Amino acid sequence: MVSCRLSDGGMSRFNAKTPMATIGFSSALITALRLLLGAIFIISGSEKLLDLKFFGLVIAEYQILPPLFIPAVAILVTLCELLCGTMLLVDLFSRISASIMLGMMAIFIAAMTNNVIRGLEHDCGCFEFLAQWYGLKEEIGIGPIVRDILFFILLLPIALLGSNRIPWKKRQG
Amino acid sequence: MSKKPLRRTLVASLLLLSSFSPAVSQHDAAASTALAKEDAGELNLSAAKALFDSRSACFVDARSEYAYYTSHIKGAISLSESRFDEQFPDFRQKKSIETLIVVYCVGINCPKARHVAEKLKKNGYRNVKVFSGGLAEWSHAGFPMEG
Repeated sequence: MVSCRLSDGGMSRFNAKTPMATIGFSSALITALRLLLGAIFIISGSEKLLDLKFFGLVIAEYQILPPLFIPAVAILVTLCELLCGTMLLVDLFSRISASIMLGMMAIFIAAMTNNVIRGLEHDCGCFEFLAQWYGLKEEIGIGPIVRDILFFILLLPIALLGSNRIPWKKRQG
Repeated sequence: MSKKPLRRTLVASLLLLSSFSPAVSQHDAAASTALAKEDAGELNLSAAKALFDSRSACFVDARSEYAYYTSHIKGAISLSESRFDEQFPDFRQKKSIETLIVVYCVGINCPKARHVAEKLKKNGYRNVKVFSGGLAEWSHAGFPMEG
Protein backbone atom coordinates (compact mmCIF):
# COMPACT_ATOMS: atom_id res chain seq x y z
CA MET A 1 0.00 0.00 0.00
CA VAL A 2 1.35 3.42 -0.94
CA SER A 3 2.03 5.59 2.05
CA CYS A 4 1.61 9.32 1.42
CA ARG A 5 1.75 11.36 4.60
CA LEU A 6 0.78 14.73 3.21
CA SER A 7 -0.89 17.74 4.78
CA ASP A 8 -4.31 16.64 3.59
CA GLY A 9 -4.11 13.94 6.19
CA GLY A 10 -4.31 10.93 3.94
CA MET A 11 -6.94 12.01 1.44
CA SER A 12 -4.27 11.82 -1.25
CA ARG A 13 -4.34 8.07 -0.78
CA PHE A 14 -7.44 8.00 -2.92
CA ASN A 15 -5.59 9.74 -5.72
CA ALA A 16 -2.72 7.31 -5.47
CA LYS A 17 -3.28 3.88 -6.94
CA THR A 18 -3.99 2.16 -3.63
CA PRO A 19 -5.86 -1.14 -3.45
CA MET A 20 -8.73 0.59 -1.61
CA ALA A 21 -8.93 3.29 -4.26
CA THR A 22 -9.12 0.69 -6.96
CA ILE A 23 -12.09 -1.00 -5.31
CA GLY A 24 -14.02 2.26 -5.39
CA PHE A 25 -13.63 3.99 -2.01
CA SER A 26 -13.92 7.65 -2.87
CA SER A 27 -13.43 10.53 -0.47
CA ALA A 28 -17.13 11.35 -0.93
CA LEU A 29 -18.07 7.89 0.32
CA ILE A 30 -15.76 8.24 3.33
CA THR A 31 -17.31 11.62 4.11
CA ALA A 32 -20.83 10.20 3.83
CA LEU A 33 -19.94 7.30 6.16
CA ARG A 34 -18.29 9.70 8.60
CA LEU A 35 -21.34 11.95 8.77
CA LEU A 36 -23.80 9.06 9.01
CA LEU A 37 -21.94 7.12 11.70
CA GLY A 38 -20.97 10.29 13.57
CA ALA A 39 -24.61 11.33 13.83
CA ILE A 40 -25.70 7.84 14.91
CA PHE A 41 -23.05 7.67 17.67
CA ILE A 42 -23.94 11.16 18.92
CA ILE A 43 -27.64 10.20 19.16
CA SER A 44 -26.76 6.94 20.89
CA GLY A 45 -24.36 8.61 23.34
CA SER A 46 -26.72 11.50 24.10
CA GLU A 47 -29.61 9.30 25.10
CA LYS A 48 -27.32 7.26 27.34
CA LEU A 49 -26.01 10.44 28.96
CA LEU A 50 -29.60 11.50 29.75
CA ASP A 51 -30.12 8.39 31.89
CA LEU A 52 -26.80 6.88 32.91
CA LYS A 53 -28.39 4.90 35.74
CA PHE A 54 -30.66 3.07 33.31
CA PHE A 55 -27.70 2.31 31.01
CA GLY A 56 -25.71 1.04 33.99
CA LEU A 57 -28.56 -1.32 34.94
CA VAL A 58 -28.65 -2.64 31.36
CA ILE A 59 -24.87 -3.25 31.47
CA ALA A 60 -25.37 -5.13 34.75
CA GLU A 61 -27.88 -7.37 32.98
CA TYR A 62 -25.14 -8.55 30.59
CA GLN A 63 -23.57 -10.26 33.64
CA ILE A 64 -20.07 -9.84 32.29
CA LEU A 65 -18.56 -7.07 34.43
CA PRO A 66 -18.15 -6.98 38.22
CA PRO A 67 -20.76 -4.59 39.73
CA LEU A 68 -17.99 -2.28 40.97
CA PHE A 69 -16.92 -1.36 37.41
CA ILE A 70 -20.39 -0.88 35.93
CA PRO A 71 -20.90 2.88 36.68
CA ALA A 72 -17.44 3.70 35.30
CA VAL A 73 -18.00 1.60 32.16
CA ALA A 74 -21.40 3.25 31.61
CA ILE A 75 -19.76 6.69 31.67
CA LEU A 76 -16.81 5.56 29.54
CA VAL A 77 -18.97 4.01 26.79
CA THR A 78 -21.26 7.06 26.73
CA LEU A 79 -18.38 9.53 26.50
CA CYS A 80 -16.61 7.43 23.85
CA GLU A 81 -19.74 7.41 21.68
CA LEU A 82 -20.28 11.15 22.11
CA LEU A 83 -16.65 12.17 21.56
CA CYS A 84 -15.94 9.77 18.70
CA GLY A 85 -19.26 10.67 17.07
CA THR A 86 -18.47 14.37 17.28
CA MET A 87 -14.93 13.88 15.96
CA LEU A 88 -16.23 11.79 13.05
CA LEU A 89 -18.80 14.45 12.28
CA VAL A 90 -16.28 17.33 12.20
CA ASP A 91 -13.54 15.16 10.67
CA LEU A 92 -11.12 15.57 13.52
CA PHE A 93 -8.90 12.53 14.13
CA SER A 94 -11.43 10.47 12.20
CA ARG A 95 -9.16 7.45 11.85
CA ILE A 96 -8.48 7.27 15.59
CA SER A 97 -12.16 7.80 16.38
CA ALA A 98 -13.24 5.14 13.91
CA SER A 99 -10.63 2.75 15.34
CA ILE A 100 -11.93 3.31 18.89
CA MET A 101 -15.50 2.70 17.70
CA LEU A 102 -14.35 -0.42 15.86
CA GLY A 103 -13.00 -1.76 19.13
CA MET A 104 -16.24 -0.91 20.91
CA MET A 105 -18.33 -2.54 18.19
CA ALA A 106 -16.23 -5.69 18.49
CA ILE A 107 -16.88 -5.74 22.26
CA PHE A 108 -20.63 -5.12 21.79
CA ILE A 109 -20.88 -7.91 19.18
CA ALA A 110 -18.95 -10.33 21.42
CA ALA A 111 -21.04 -9.44 24.52
CA MET A 112 -24.37 -9.79 22.75
CA THR A 113 -23.37 -13.02 21.01
CA ASN A 114 -22.18 -14.44 24.33
CA ASN A 115 -25.51 -13.65 26.03
CA VAL A 116 -27.63 -14.90 23.13
CA ILE A 117 -25.71 -18.20 23.31
CA ARG A 118 -26.28 -18.30 27.09
CA GLY A 119 -30.00 -17.88 26.45
CA LEU A 120 -30.31 -14.59 28.32
CA GLU A 121 -33.05 -12.15 27.37
CA HIS A 122 -32.62 -8.49 28.16
CA ASP A 123 -32.47 -5.01 26.75
CA CYS A 124 -29.68 -4.28 24.28
CA GLY A 125 -28.82 -0.83 25.65
CA CYS A 126 -28.19 0.38 22.11
CA PHE A 127 -30.89 2.82 21.02
CA GLU A 128 -33.33 3.20 23.88
CA PHE A 129 -35.12 6.11 22.18
CA LEU A 130 -36.53 3.59 19.69
CA ALA A 131 -38.39 1.96 22.57
CA GLN A 132 -39.41 5.24 24.17
CA TRP A 133 -40.52 7.02 21.01
CA TYR A 134 -41.67 4.22 18.75
CA GLY A 135 -42.36 1.37 21.20
CA LEU A 136 -39.77 -0.86 19.51
CA LYS A 137 -38.15 -3.27 21.93
CA GLU A 138 -34.37 -3.29 21.71
CA GLU A 139 -33.56 -6.70 23.13
CA ILE A 140 -30.37 -8.59 22.40
CA GLY A 141 -30.63 -10.94 19.47
CA ILE A 142 -29.71 -11.45 15.85
CA GLY A 143 -31.03 -8.01 14.80
CA PRO A 144 -28.78 -5.84 17.01
CA ILE A 145 -25.80 -8.16 16.38
CA VAL A 146 -26.18 -7.85 12.58
CA ARG A 147 -26.61 -4.08 12.93
CA ASP A 148 -23.38 -3.79 14.95
CA ILE A 149 -21.57 -5.97 12.37
CA LEU A 150 -22.83 -3.55 9.70
CA PHE A 151 -21.52 -0.59 11.74
CA PHE A 152 -18.19 -2.43 12.07
CA ILE A 153 -17.99 -2.90 8.29
CA LEU A 154 -18.94 0.74 7.65
CA LEU A 155 -16.32 1.97 10.14
CA LEU A 156 -13.51 0.01 8.47
CA PRO A 157 -13.02 2.35 5.47
CA ILE A 158 -12.85 5.38 7.79
CA ALA A 159 -10.35 3.65 10.10
CA LEU A 160 -8.21 2.59 7.14
CA LEU A 161 -8.54 5.54 4.79
CA GLY A 162 -9.98 8.44 6.76
CA SER A 163 -7.93 11.41 7.81
CA ASN A 164 -6.29 12.29 11.09
CA ARG A 165 -6.03 15.91 10.14
CA ILE A 166 -6.61 18.89 12.39
CA PRO A 167 -8.74 21.35 10.36
CA TRP A 168 -7.39 24.58 11.88
CA LYS A 169 -3.80 23.46 11.24
CA LYS A 170 -4.65 22.95 7.59
CA ARG A 171 -6.06 26.46 7.40
CA GLN A 172 -2.85 27.87 8.92
CA GLY A 173 -0.75 25.96 6.40
CA MET B 1 -90.01 -24.58 70.51
CA SER B 2 -88.97 -23.33 67.02
CA LYS B 3 -85.29 -22.97 66.28
CA LYS B 4 -85.79 -20.24 63.63
CA PRO B 5 -85.98 -17.17 65.94
CA LEU B 6 -82.86 -18.37 67.76
CA ARG B 7 -80.92 -18.77 64.48
CA ARG B 8 -82.06 -15.33 63.30
CA THR B 9 -80.95 -13.76 66.56
CA LEU B 10 -77.55 -15.41 66.30
CA VAL B 11 -76.98 -14.25 62.69
CA ALA B 12 -78.15 -10.73 63.49
CA SER B 13 -75.87 -10.44 66.50
CA LEU B 14 -72.90 -11.76 64.48
CA LEU B 15 -73.54 -9.22 61.73
CA LEU B 16 -73.87 -6.46 64.32
CA LEU B 17 -70.61 -7.48 65.99
CA SER B 18 -68.65 -7.66 62.74
CA SER B 19 -69.89 -4.26 61.58
CA PHE B 20 -68.75 -2.54 64.77
CA SER B 21 -65.50 -4.44 65.30
CA PRO B 22 -62.55 -2.03 64.92
CA ALA B 23 -59.98 -4.84 64.71
CA VAL B 24 -61.21 -6.13 61.38
CA SER B 25 -61.07 -3.51 58.66
CA GLN B 26 -62.67 -3.95 55.26
CA HIS B 27 -59.27 -4.30 53.58
CA ASP B 28 -58.08 -6.96 56.01
CA ALA B 29 -61.27 -8.92 55.55
CA ALA B 30 -60.97 -8.76 51.77
CA ALA B 31 -57.32 -9.72 51.95
CA SER B 32 -57.95 -12.72 54.19
CA THR B 33 -60.81 -13.88 51.96
CA ALA B 34 -58.64 -13.55 48.88
CA LEU B 35 -55.82 -15.41 50.58
CA ALA B 36 -58.11 -18.21 51.66
CA LYS B 37 -59.34 -18.59 48.09
CA GLU B 38 -55.86 -18.55 46.57
CA ASP B 39 -54.16 -20.42 49.39
CA ALA B 40 -52.40 -23.03 47.35
CA GLY B 41 -52.33 -21.41 43.91
CA GLU B 42 -51.37 -18.11 42.40
CA LEU B 43 -52.98 -14.77 43.13
CA ASN B 44 -55.34 -13.11 40.70
CA LEU B 45 -55.65 -9.35 40.25
CA SER B 46 -58.31 -8.79 42.91
CA ALA B 47 -56.42 -10.87 45.47
CA ALA B 48 -53.20 -9.01 44.74
CA LYS B 49 -54.98 -5.66 45.01
CA ALA B 50 -56.58 -6.69 48.31
CA LEU B 51 -53.14 -7.52 49.71
CA PHE B 52 -51.74 -4.28 48.32
CA ASP B 53 -54.50 -2.26 50.01
CA SER B 54 -54.12 -4.10 53.30
CA ARG B 55 -50.36 -3.38 53.23
CA SER B 56 -49.82 -6.82 54.68
CA ALA B 57 -47.59 -8.06 51.85
CA CYS B 58 -44.28 -7.10 50.31
CA PHE B 59 -44.47 -6.90 46.50
CA VAL B 60 -41.37 -8.19 44.70
CA ASP B 61 -40.57 -7.36 41.06
CA ALA B 62 -38.86 -10.33 39.38
CA ARG B 63 -38.10 -8.51 36.13
CA SER B 64 -34.70 -7.08 35.27
CA GLU B 65 -33.54 -4.13 37.34
CA TYR B 66 -33.69 -1.73 34.40
CA ALA B 67 -37.32 -2.70 33.81
CA TYR B 68 -38.07 -2.14 37.50
CA TYR B 69 -36.30 1.23 37.29
CA THR B 70 -38.58 2.26 34.42
CA SER B 71 -41.86 1.32 36.15
CA HIS B 72 -43.12 -0.99 38.88
CA ILE B 73 -45.99 -1.56 41.29
CA LYS B 74 -45.93 1.17 43.92
CA GLY B 75 -43.74 0.22 46.83
CA ALA B 76 -42.43 -2.97 45.20
CA ILE B 77 -38.85 -4.15 45.75
CA SER B 78 -36.61 -5.32 42.89
CA LEU B 79 -35.38 -8.90 43.12
CA SER B 80 -34.65 -9.86 39.54
CA GLU B 81 -34.37 -13.45 38.44
CA SER B 82 -31.19 -12.71 36.49
CA ARG B 83 -29.35 -11.04 39.39
CA PHE B 84 -31.03 -12.80 42.31
CA ASP B 85 -27.75 -13.79 44.00
CA GLU B 86 -26.45 -10.21 43.98
CA GLN B 87 -29.69 -8.64 45.21
CA PHE B 88 -30.83 -11.27 47.72
CA PRO B 89 -28.47 -10.44 50.64
CA ASP B 90 -29.83 -6.88 50.75
CA PHE B 91 -33.41 -8.17 50.50
CA ARG B 92 -32.76 -10.68 53.31
CA GLN B 93 -31.66 -7.87 55.60
CA LYS B 94 -34.81 -5.84 54.87
CA LYS B 95 -37.46 -8.56 54.98
CA SER B 96 -37.83 -11.31 57.57
CA ILE B 97 -38.71 -14.85 56.51
CA GLU B 98 -42.21 -14.49 57.98
CA THR B 99 -43.07 -11.65 55.58
CA LEU B 100 -45.86 -12.34 53.12
CA ILE B 101 -44.31 -11.86 49.68
CA VAL B 102 -46.11 -11.36 46.39
CA VAL B 103 -43.85 -11.91 43.37
CA TYR B 104 -44.75 -10.63 39.92
CA CYS B 105 -43.17 -10.09 36.51
CA VAL B 106 -44.47 -8.83 33.16
CA GLY B 107 -47.54 -10.99 32.71
CA ILE B 108 -49.13 -14.39 32.69
CA ASN B 109 -46.60 -15.92 30.26
CA CYS B 110 -43.58 -14.68 32.18
CA PRO B 111 -41.87 -17.47 34.18
CA LYS B 112 -39.55 -15.16 36.15
CA ALA B 113 -41.99 -14.62 39.03
CA ARG B 114 -42.35 -18.37 39.60
CA HIS B 115 -38.57 -18.85 39.46
CA VAL B 116 -37.96 -16.07 42.00
CA ALA B 117 -40.74 -17.46 44.22
CA GLU B 118 -39.04 -20.87 44.16
CA LYS B 119 -35.68 -19.33 45.01
CA LEU B 120 -37.24 -17.40 47.91
CA LYS B 121 -38.84 -20.58 49.25
CA LYS B 122 -35.48 -22.35 49.02
CA ASN B 123 -34.01 -19.53 51.07
CA GLY B 124 -36.50 -20.01 53.89
CA TYR B 125 -39.37 -17.68 52.96
CA ARG B 126 -42.58 -19.57 53.64
CA ASN B 127 -45.31 -17.08 52.67
CA VAL B 128 -44.55 -16.56 49.01
CA LYS B 129 -47.30 -15.98 46.45
CA VAL B 130 -47.14 -15.31 42.73
CA PHE B 131 -49.30 -12.63 41.14
CA SER B 132 -49.63 -14.29 37.75
CA GLY B 133 -51.26 -11.37 35.92
CA GLY B 134 -48.16 -9.32 36.59
CA LEU B 135 -47.49 -5.71 35.73
CA ALA B 136 -49.49 -5.85 32.49
CA GLU B 137 -52.72 -6.68 34.30
CA TRP B 138 -51.96 -4.29 37.16
CA SER B 139 -51.26 -1.29 34.94
CA HIS B 140 -54.21 -2.12 32.68
CA ALA B 141 -56.45 -1.96 35.74
CA GLY B 142 -55.04 1.48 36.54
CA PHE B 143 -53.69 0.45 39.93
CA PRO B 144 -50.86 2.42 41.62
CA MET B 145 -47.51 2.39 39.85
CA GLU B 146 -44.27 4.30 40.22
CA GLY B 147 -40.90 4.65 38.51
